Amino acid sequence: MKNMLTITWYSLREAMARKVFISFFIISLLTIILVALILNMAGFVKVFTSGTQNNFTEAFTTMEMMFISPITLIGILMSIFSSASFIPIMLEKGNIDLLLSKPISREQLLVGKYLGGVLVVFINIALLIIGVWLTFSIKFSVWNFGFLLTIFTITFTFSILYSIIVLLGIATKSSAPGMMIAYLIFLIVSPVLYSAKYKLGVFIQSSLIKGIVDFVYYLFPKTSELMGKTTYDLATGSGITNYQPILTSFGFLILTLGIAVVIFRKKDF
Amino acid sequence: MNFNAIETSSLSKVYSSAFGRRKIEALTNLNLIVKPGTIFGFLGPNGAGKTTFVKLLLGITFPTSGGAKILGEDISEYKMKSKIGYLPENHKYPAYLKGSEVLDFYGKLSGMEGINLQKKIDELLDLVKLTQWKKTKVKAYSKGMMQRLGLAQALLNEPELIFLDEPTDGVDPIGRKEIRDILLELKSRSKTIFLNSHLLSEVEQITDRVGILNKGKLIREGTVKELTQKREEYKLSLEGAAVDDINKNPDNDLHLTNIGDGYFNLKVSDSNELNKVLDMLRSKGIMIKEMVQQKDSLEDIFISLINESEKGAMK
Ligand SMILES: Nc1ncnc2c1ncn2[C@@H]1O[C@H](COP(=O)(O)OP(=O)(O)OP(=O)(O)O)[C@@H](O)[C@H]1O
Ligand SMILES: [Mg+2]
Repeated sequence: MKNMLTITWYSLREAMARKVFISFFIISLLTIILVALILNMAGFVKVFTSGTQNNFTEAFTTMEMMFISPITLIGILMSIFSSASFIPIMLEKGNIDLLLSKPISREQLLVGKYLGGVLVVFINIALLIIGVWLTFSIKFSVWNFGFLLTIFTITFTFSILYSIIVLLGIATKSSAPGMMIAYLIFLIVSPVLYSAKYKLGVFIQSSLIKGIVDFVYYLFPKTSELMGKTTYDLATGSGITNYQPILTSFGFLILTLGIAVVIFRKKDF
Repeated sequence: MNFNAIETSSLSKVYSSAFGRRKIEALTNLNLIVKPGTIFGFLGPNGAGKTTFVKLLLGITFPTSGGAKILGEDISEYKMKSKIGYLPENHKYPAYLKGSEVLDFYGKLSGMEGINLQKKIDELLDLVKLTQWKKTKVKAYSKGMMQRLGLAQALLNEPELIFLDEPTDGVDPIGRKEIRDILLELKSRSKTIFLNSHLLSEVEQITDRVGILNKGKLIREGTVKELTQKREEYKLSLEGAAVDDINKNPDNDLHLTNIGDGYFNLKVSDSNELNKVLDMLRSKGIMIKEMVQQKDSLEDIFISLINESEKGAMK
């Protein structure tokens, strides 16, 4: 256990050395400054201060989300990009030999490295969200704490994509395949499946096709729902209205990581 | 210790390339025992399987068949690795870490912590003469410095059994001597050292036993002394008028062959004969200035064994 945490901790060091934090931080800072500048335009304040309390919170959160959504999208894309080489670097000749000669099991090594990657992204996303949140809250003197919960949904979304990167990193010893599949799922597969199930679903007559769509939908992680509806519900304080995307995606994560561990345990280096 | 440091039984490894079309027999039915408290030298040409053997023992690669125990425990038991030190052949350390941080990282992974670890790190950096470089990132280290750091890393956890894969690779002659001294000091504290090397003269100086590996097969194993047994052959330096006689008349009973520069080679069957020849030389008024018993160096033995085994394989 302690060994695993050593691996996790040194993953942070690795990310720091590879300037992941500093680039993330600069982008976050620029974003926050931009948000502050835009908010300073007087027009917005008037819109918000009129209307009822309920309307207000919702409009306010929508406003926050409007800023945060594209930024977190970029954040996820950047996270995938910056963490994709963690595993291949670990597997390099001379590096993995030494790690495996230490009293640490292969599963601990892999899980420790995985948690390291997730932790790096968690810290970055948290800084970004807290920054934007503070800017909004100070500007409007409205403290919507629910907004902070989005840190978790966004990190969770990343951790699902990261499990794919880890699996393919172990299997291929290179970062490109995992990165490509993660982007594909995040940008195309998940949004398309969501639309197929909930928007086109009503038009599909054949129960076979419907079954197939359902199967594929449940099989793949629901990153677009997690980043969309789930995140939005939490931000507006409605809580989690639907646990299905979270649970099935978590299942996907565990399965993917499990396969990665099985492959890793058998691999010769 | 009442168990062997290393004990393998029919350990074999076949690497198969992608789709299993080409197979490489890296190691075939290796049976080897290394006693605790000894230095064992594992020799063999490039690609013989030396590194593969060490990797199998450390669980970095898995055997195709056969098994092994180290320090009395099966090699699949990862926890016993806390008693093991390893210097891999192409070790790579996170380039962004400083020398002392590299040791901190691997020390923690070996289960050490706190002040004990920090003390040990300082002690080892001193031992391998890197104290000055402690605060320098390893990306600025030279090859030999990396090797020294690697050795320090391998000794962090006070291991019982130490695997060194070409430890003196890239190290200058003084550094090599220092490393040899470190290894002998470890032996004096009854640590077991398993040394992969090409540098036969070095191995000859410090090992108790050696194994010679070729194409995955162990072709000879024994003490350096056994392998490099002395021959009844001497090199003599002679002086005197009668020396010319020997030269002119090579058909003598003296078994002497001129090898130039006043040196002669003498082959005899035992000490009796040797003394007879010496008496004869003295009686002719020949002055014996120097006499050295000839023996095969480990290198001679190594080369002839590998050649033999190659010939055997051709048939
Ligand atoms: N990961 C691997 N995949 C396939 N073949 C391998 C692998 N590692 C080693 N081999 C092969 O196994 C054989 C033994 O290699 P090994 O590295 O053990 O030799 P070695 O004795 O350490 O050589 P050197 O003195 O050059 O270090 C070689 O033929 C090598 O090509
Ligand atoms: Mg080797």
